[in-house]
Amino acid sequence: MPKVKIPRKSTWVDMTAFCDVAFLLLSFFMLATQFKPDEAAKVETPKSVSSDTIPTKDAFLVTFDKGGRVFVTYDDVEKKKALFDKLNADRGIGLTDNEIRTLNKAMESGIGVPFTMLKSLGSKSKEELQRVQQPGIPVQDSVNNELKDWIATLLAINSGVKPKNVMLKGDNDANYPTFINVLDAFTKNGIYNFKLITMPENAPSGTYLYDARSSGKKDKK
Amino acid sequence: MADIDTGGGGGGHKKGPGVKKSKKLSTRVDLTPMVDLGFLLITFFIFTTTMSSPTAMKLNMPDDTVKSEDQNKAKESGALTIMLSKNDHIYYYEGKLADDGSNFKSAIFGKSSGDAKGIRDIIIEKKQKLGASADNDLVVVIKPNEESNFKNTVDIIDEMTINGVKKYALVKISEVENMLIKTTEGTAK
Repeated sequence: MPKVKIPRKSTWVDMTAFCDVAFLLLSFFMLATQFKPDEAAKVETPKSVSSDTIPTKDAFLVTFDKGGRVFVTYDDVEKKKALFDKLNADRGIGLTDNEIRTLNKAMESGIGVPFTMLKSLGSKSKEELQRVQQPGIPVQDSVNNELKDWIATLLAINSGVKPKNVMLKGDNDANYPTFINVLDAFTKNGIYNFKLITMPENAPSGTYLYDARSSGKKDKK
Repeated sequence: MADIDTGGGGGGHKKGPGVKKSKKLSTRVDLTPMVDLGFLLITFFIFTTTMSSPTAMKLNMPDDTVKSEDQNKAKESGALTIMLSKNDHIYYYEGKLADDGSNFKSAIFGKSSGDAKGIRDIIIEKKQKLGASADNDLVVVIKPNEESNFKNTVDIIDEMTINGVKKYALVKISEVENMLIKTTEGTAK
């Protein structure tokens, strides 16, 4: 009986297609990725059913973390410079141009020091700034509420025009008094409209909002 | 790499000894390491990426410089006061707070589960009771005390959006209400 000969097939697999897929996915993720911006404080925001997007223009952001530390972030370069110049002149902090420039940069990720410590924060190097633990802007009560002064100064340099978007970003575990003190700082300055930064969440089924959304109606304001 | 060594070694000696083999170099490139690298980078980007971008929730505060005569008066039948305390506790009463505190009740977040009443069901019931006039008459007053946290505050405001409550306000808690919460929590233990 003749032996059945099994042809020896090569097991070489062409990896080109696989490679193509891998890099296609890679390029997708690279383009879709938005890196988290630097933040002075680690904050985990609560969830809400709101679906509005976050405005980025003319946005004044106040962050408060669970320890009750408060930070301000503002991205308008021109106004930021004017803001520090005015703070400097009004309070006699004695900031040099160089220190103002450092503070300008630091404000992109958040400034959270009392006015008395602005100078020492401004004299720090780039590396030191990233490591420094800021104590937060004092907001304890209406007497010692420096956030109120920040906002008053901001309104003053802007000739009374309110920033279009005032955003508040708070940690889940931040206590309520911190939140209300921050709100107070704004309402005392005549700003009553806020945007709270939250993570998206679906409307629970069987509720008014769920029915409204599934029937295709727009959310009423 | 991408194949299994099937042996067969060297491809035979057809030309006999002494004849120099002209080795044909394969143009096939082994892409396995490249695929490995690709997937490694994909994994990295998947982990660092933040897919769900945050959203903005609107909050409007009242102008507290307005004189009290000018403020909107709420109907007693349509008023619902919700108080927040520590550990996600919710307390509520409808209309006016009774002198003996008999209509002061406790609730939990979200839907009812078991004996505990959910704040969502309470709001829905209240809306049904008011019927067609609910949009106009229902006024929810939210009073977090100093022990509640930011998450609870956002959750309860969110609950207003979820249930389509048109009128609600964030108000400072009164001394009496806070005392009631404290005593309830004291006895609950």
